[in-house]
Amino acid sequence: MTRGTFLGEFELLVLLAIAQLNDEGYGVTILEEIGERTGRRPSIGAVYATLARLESKGYVRSWLGPATGERGGRAKRHFALRPAGGRALESTRTTLERMWRGIPWKPRPEGA
Amino acid sequence: MSLSLAQWLLRLTLGAAAARVIIGDLAELLATRPHATRFAAGLWYWRQVLSCLSPRNALAIRRAAPPPPPRQRRRPMDTLFADLRYAVRVFRRAPGFAALVIVTMAGGIAATTIVYSAVDGMVLRPFPFAEPSRLVGVGTSYPAVGAELSFVEHLSPAEYLDAARATSLERIVAWDMGNRQVTVGENTENLFSGFWWGDPFPTLGVEPFQGRGFLPSELEAGERVAILSHRVWRNRFGADSALVGGQVLINGEPYRVVGIMAPRTLVYGMDLWIPMPASPEVFPRNRRQFQIIGRLAPGASLAQANAELAVIARQVENQYGAAFPEYAGWSFQALTWNDINVRAARPAAMIMLAAVAFVMLLVTTNVATLLLGRSSGRAREVAVRAALGAGKRRIFRQFLTESILLALTGAALGIGLGWWGIAALARTLEATPLPLAGQLAMNGQVLLVTTLAAVLAGLVFGTVPALQMLRSDPQRTLQGDSGGATVHGPRLRLQRTLVAVEAALAITLLAGGGYLLRSVAALQAVDPGFRPERVLTMRLSLARERYTRARVEPFFSTLRERVAALPGVDGVATVSQFPPNAFSRAEFRLDGGEPGGSDVRPAGFFTLASPDYFETIGIPLTAGRAFASTDRAETPPVGLINEEFRRRFFGATDPLGHRLQLGADGPAFEIVGVVGSARNRGIDRLPEPEVFASTLQADGINNQLFLIVRTRGEPRALVEGVRGVVRSIDPDQPVYAIRTIDEAVARSQFNRRFSATLLGGFALFALVLAAVGIYGVVGYATAQRTREVGVRMALGASRQSVAGLFVAQALVPVAVGVAAGLVAALGIGRAMESLLFEVRAGDPVTLVGAAVLLGGIGIAAAWLPARRASRLDPLRALRSEQG
Repeated sequence: MTRGTFLGEFELLVLLAIAQLNDEGYGVTILEEIGERTGRRPSIGAVYATLARLESKGYVRSWLGPATGERGGRAKRHFALRPAGGRALESTRTTLERMWRGIPWKPRPEGA
Repeated sequence: MSLSLAQWLLRLTLGAAAARVIIGDLAELLATRPHATRFAAGLWYWRQVLSCLSPRNALAIRRAAPPPPPRQRRRPMDTLFADLRYAVRVFRRAPGFAALVIVTMAGGIAATTIVYSAVDGMVLRPFPFAEPSRLVGVGTSYPAVGAELSFVEHLSPAEYLDAARATSLERIVAWDMGNRQVTVGENTENLFSGFWWGDPFPTLGVEPFQGRGFLPSELEAGERVAILSHRVWRNRFGADSALVGGQVLINGEPYRVVGIMAPRTLVYGMDLWIPMPASPEVFPRNRRQFQIIGRLAPGASLAQANAELAVIARQVENQYGAAFPEYAGWSFQALTWNDINVRAARPAAMIMLAAVAFVMLLVTTNVATLLLGRSSGRAREVAVRAALGAGKRRIFRQFLTESILLALTGAALGIGLGWWGIAALARTLEATPLPLAGQLAMNGQVLLVTTLAAVLAGLVFGTVPALQMLRSDPQRTLQGDSGGATVHGPRLRLQRTLVAVEAALAITLLAGGGYLLRSVAALQAVDPGFRPERVLTMRLSLARERYTRARVEPFFSTLRERVAALPGVDGVATVSQFPPNAFSRAEFRLDGGEPGGSDVRPAGFFTLASPDYFETIGIPLTAGRAFASTDRAETPPVGLINEEFRRRFFGATDPLGHRLQLGADGPAFEIVGVVGSARNRGIDRLPEPEVFASTLQADGINNQLFLIVRTRGEPRALVEGVRGVVRSIDPDQPVYAIRTIDEAVARSQFNRRFSATLLGGFALFALVLAAVGIYGVVGYATAQRTREVGVRMALGASRQSVAGLFVAQALVPVAVGVAAGLVAALGIGRAMESLLFEVRAGDPVTLVGAAVLLGGIGIAAAWLPARRASRLDPLRALRSEQG
């Protein structure tokens, strides 16, 4: 693991959501993907701020979609994983798995 | 809590581009997530906006690179799938509409495909022969002896050689037909057979399926080689390839099977081909029991061939006219083989094609009506989408996608239905043997054409309204000006026109079906002059090789005696032909010369019958006596005539005691009785003159006779019993053509009944389509005029009068259509006159019945939506434009 590629928790969720959505990712679907899978309801501001950070790191790329009627003619901003994003997800996963190794399931917190 | 303020803040903080995306997301989320109250929704919206406005997030979002502009070349498939998803959603919301369009379209495509394929396979291209336009039959007519143009058993070998001199005929073959018993191993079958002069294979333009055709030497020498039809080889001889090259017995003589014909290679249903064992020169010039088929030379026309044949006929007349008086004014007439064989079926086929074209028109009209009605309900949807920024092209594409989806689904279903229908029809026809070699197969071209027509109709009428709406001002639509005349007036007019067209088409089809149904009913009421019910018939051909003349009548009388002894038999007779399908005619001389005062020679059917024939088949004796078993070869020959013969050739004179001579030099007999006239050449045709002679005095001249058995119960139950009797007399003697007279009657009515059933079905379909169209138009009109209904009712109009108003208005186009349809029905009646029986074009019962039926259906279809409109609460109706 190289320094600087470790993803923050919310960054990880957003990136995973994009990976899950596989080209279908944009504001609404990313928000819903995270909502459905985690039960959290992240705010749209947080999602777009994170997306902006991930894009500046080169993990995702974005493009404007066509204007669609359902959205009042406003375009969607689509997001998709770049190769660097995929690598970042992979290395985060290995890091986390390495850290988990040896810890009994249901780790007992101190003092319990 | 203004949402626009929130949006303005977003734009201010994040910039227009980023804000636009987020506002779009929020709009979508708001639409998909239900909120209990507007307030809750507003609260949620503001919370989301604020999350973007927080300095941390806002900075991050602003700092991000602006997204690349929308790619001009988007992957078209994305939009297509989006449109398809949307279309499916639209149809799910109105499943009845989508189902109706699809079913209508499928029905039309299937009907057209089935009928056209049937007509094409059975009437337009009934034979698998190469270049059918060059394949001709040559018929003859001998007006001097009253012989009409005939193509069957009509010319002599000498005349064949005469015709063969025509150079415009590249090839010409002649054949004789008869029955032969073919024995393969244990299995003996009676096969209808042809005996050829000349090679039929290159003439017809077919290749054998297995083995080979005839060798020139075999044809020349009349060798004992045989070629079997594919159907007999497959169905009766187990498709055994070893049969080719092997030996079979034909009437007990060994023959070598050299080949199998290709499937459908049938000429008059002959299943066995053999070279003619005798050369044409050995037959007398007037031995007319042969027929010819020829192939026009390349570049030669039918007219050329006929001109050449006319010259030959004159030469023959000059040369032989003195010896053969029938040559006075005689002629050859070449016609294409297709014409000769399917002329009779053509009127029915053309009616079917016309009917199915009407159905297809009706379907197209109906789809148009449905789509127009549907699109009018979507004006608001289109306006909303346009107002929200959807491009016109985009909306048009959406409508296009929907139309294509509907059309293709309908087409797919129609093709499936067509396949199924053709297969079902083919099975039905297999069970109803027709004299044609035709086949039923899906016709690709017609499938393509009908599918294109349906799809095109769907496209045009699905997208034209969208174009209209897009041209109109969305703002006005949104402001509730849907009662305005700008968009809907013309569309309602168009819909009414379509309803009128539908009514006209439906009336035409109803009348066509009605004429035929009335004809079928009239036929059923006809007195056939005999009793056709419960009569089993079958044919036996005694092979000349085993049965000399002297042995023929003893065989048949033993057969009659033994069959009469079977339980359940009420009467037995043997006869050479019987109604309604008599086929063998003859000319007679009355009292040794020409009949007084008339230049018409007595002619009619000549039938050999056993003494109990008339009682068995139920033809009454009207004068004199019937045949008796005491009329024997040694006693003076006697004959009977039917009433028609008496009427035509004796008038008021008493025919009893007069003498009739068969032909110029045949046996003579005394007329001892007169019998009733039976419909001897079709239930739908008046009886022809007929003369009967007794089989007991015929010296076994006719070795092929029908056995006629009147039964007490189900006639078919006796088939095995009769077969057993035949076996007990001669174990090698097959029986064939086993049917009941009822079946023969039904078969002779096949064309008419088939047409009646099909047209009746089409008429029913048309009625349903017209009802749907009327229902749709009235439903649309009432929906458009909800506010008016409210006003009328608020002003005191009763519910009945409101409903009545709508019904009355709907019936105007129906009435116009009915009037036009009645005119068309007159025309179609004339076109189908040859199929009608005792019913004329313009038959008032049919026309009034059709009009009343359609009118009734129209009123019912209009009443339903009209009543619904009249049930509206006036207050709600008045407010409806807000909803």
